[in-house]
Amino acid sequence: MTVIENRRKYVNPIHIAPLFKWLMLASLVACCGLLFVFIKNQQHFLGEQTREVERQIRDMRSQSEVLLARISTLSSRAELQRKLNQGLIALQPIQDHSIARIGQPVTAERDGVLRTAANERFRP
Amino acid sequence: MRWKACRRAAIACGLVGIVFTGYSARLIDLQVTKHEEYTALAAQKHSIRLTVPAHRGIILDRNREILAANIPVRKVVVDGSHVKNPEALATLAAPCLGIPKATLLKELQTRSKYKVLLPGLEEEKALALQRAMEEKSLRGIYFHQNTTRTYPNGPLLSHVLGFLARKDPNDENVVGVEGIERSMENYLRGIDGFRHIERDRTGREIMIYRGQEQAPRHGMNVQLTIDMGMQAILEAELDNAFKELKPDNATGVIVDPKTGEILAMTSRPTFDLNQINAAKHEEMKNRAIFDMVEPGSTFKIVVACAALNERVVNPKTLIYCENGAFSYGGRILRDHHGYGQMNVHDILMKSSNIGSAKMALMMGDQKFYEYVRRFGFGERTGVALPGEIAGLVHPPARWDRLTITRMPMGQSVAVTPLQMVMGMSVIANGGKLMRPQIIKSIQDKDGHEILSMKPEVVREVVPPETARLVGGALAEVVSERGTAALARVSGFTVAGKTGTAQKVDSKGGYAPGKYVVSFIGYIPAEDPRFVCLILIDDAKLSSGLNYGGLVAAPIFSRVAEKTARYLDLMPSPGTTASLPVALGQSDVTEFR
Repeated sequence: MTVIENRRKYVNPIHIAPLFKWLMLASLVACCGLLFVFIKNQQHFLGEQTREVERQIRDMRSQSEVLLARISTLSSRAELQRKLNQGLIALQPIQDHSIARIGQPVTAERDGVLRTAANERFRP
Repeated sequence: MRWKACRRAAIACGLVGIVFTGYSARLIDLQVTKHEEYTALAAQKHSIRLTVPAHRGIILDRNREILAANIPVRKVVVDGSHVKNPEALATLAAPCLGIPKATLLKELQTRSKYKVLLPGLEEEKALALQRAMEEKSLRGIYFHQNTTRTYPNGPLLSHVLGFLARKDPNDENVVGVEGIERSMENYLRGIDGFRHIERDRTGREIMIYRGQEQAPRHGMNVQLTIDMGMQAILEAELDNAFKELKPDNATGVIVDPKTGEILAMTSRPTFDLNQINAAKHEEMKNRAIFDMVEPGSTFKIVVACAALNERVVNPKTLIYCENGAFSYGGRILRDHHGYGQMNVHDILMKSSNIGSAKMALMMGDQKFYEYVRRFGFGERTGVALPGEIAGLVHPPARWDRLTITRMPMGQSVAVTPLQMVMGMSVIANGGKLMRPQIIKSIQDKDGHEILSMKPEVVREVVPPETARLVGGALAEVVSERGTAALARVSGFTVAGKTGTAQKVDSKGGYAPGKYVVSFIGYIPAEDPRFVCLILIDDAKLSSGLNYGGLVAAPIFSRVAEKTARYLDLMPSPGTTASLPVALGQSDVTEFR
């Protein structure tokens, strides 16, 4: 029996390929698990963000409606009348001589024919 | 010895086996047999169907001025199962909620999972309390979205707008119970949406488990035909009259005769829509459609139109007015003054009872009754307001001998103020009875028109020529020779008719010394833009002054003058600018 033969007999070789395969499989499973957890966390995080945005929109709408109601109240006739009575605003009735009234436009001659602005009669 | 050991081992194994079999059986029982039950229990604990409330539509006037709006508030509810420290929670929340601490503490110690503490807490206060609770890690009080209705103009247009109330004291939802809020309930009220959610043990929603949801359908906005400028004018004048004359009640209506659109409508006494609990029942009545009165002489337009249209008389026919005392059916019918021969024009101008009665007699019961009904009396006008009454017009079969002489002057018949205005509109618009309209359009929440109301002719009562003849006489009523000289408006020709009727006593017959006076007129007479009714029920004046021409006509004049200015109407050609005599005209400039 040669020395070389003896060595072969007692050496346990490491088979890299199957080991790598199993390691890869384990890593993949681990990655899937981590990914699942990560996605789940992301979902929760996005959900929280969505909830926050929804809350902000709701608050904004509420504020808008509160302000609309407040504007309506402050510009209501009763409120304006109160301000007028207290002298906070002043209204001066428009006098008749300050109003320029424009009469009805004449669109047709007596013969019923519509005339254009550039009346043919006045063309050179 | 060995056999004994084996037996002991077998017994131990058997016992272990039995225990594990028991566990397995229980596991199967929990997981399989009672699966549905426990799933439902878990869902009940963590999953809830959250209601997403729909907003009620707003009400606008014809110029898009907001008449009824919503204010967002929070409904404060307590979940007794989440309250761990009621003492601390009560101390924190009591000042914000405005509830005494002891009362709140009692409320918080409930076992109920849903108990309403406050139906409407201001948004700012709710958010502040929510933040304070989060900081101190307290829970058990929750804030749900809710809205409360507000009416920016308070008492203005209150009878038309109506209000909301709970249908049943245990029901949290409110519905329209009067006015537009009631008649347009189906449009104004939206449909609530829902969302299935799951909550964690702290009560917060777990977003990723959000389930089926449906968005709410918000209510439609309702635009009225009312013009708040004209409404303010009418209400201010009616207020002054109500304070000065102290009547039982007063009513005013302004209508566009060409379209039938109601531009203003009010009654006195009135109430504030924002303080509904302080209002009395009598103040809430929209008298323009709820009350019926004997119309008095304003009803003479019916007999005049009928007689002219049936050619029983022509404009030149002279009728002998018996010098003021006409004996018929064993009773004497009197005029205010004694008149001799008069034509239809003069009968209307002088408001002769005898002349009107004779025209009706010439026409006959059936024909006259037919015209009364053609003018729309005795039937609901169909206006989109709840509770309208039809009035009272008996058929000829139920008339006594005197009815034919009493009805032409507005007795033995009961009508609503709105019917009176629509009747006068027939003359103003050339003979057509229009359906009164209070709704201009229905819009979605973005303002897009969904439904638009068009003017609706109910029927042609008389031809335009007859309406013109009667209208000419009505213009004379407002002259120096007529009964309503005080109804004149500077710069405009006015046509109209006064009415003075004895007030019907609730015990039967007429109440002595009590009168319902009215004036219905339109302006400008040649091309009417609006018809206005002023009706004063039992003004506290002496009998000698309590006439439509003296009480209601000046109020009409003031309303019409301001309205004409508001609408910027062109003055009628050839009219003199004589200022009307006014009762208690206010010197204060008014905003309108």
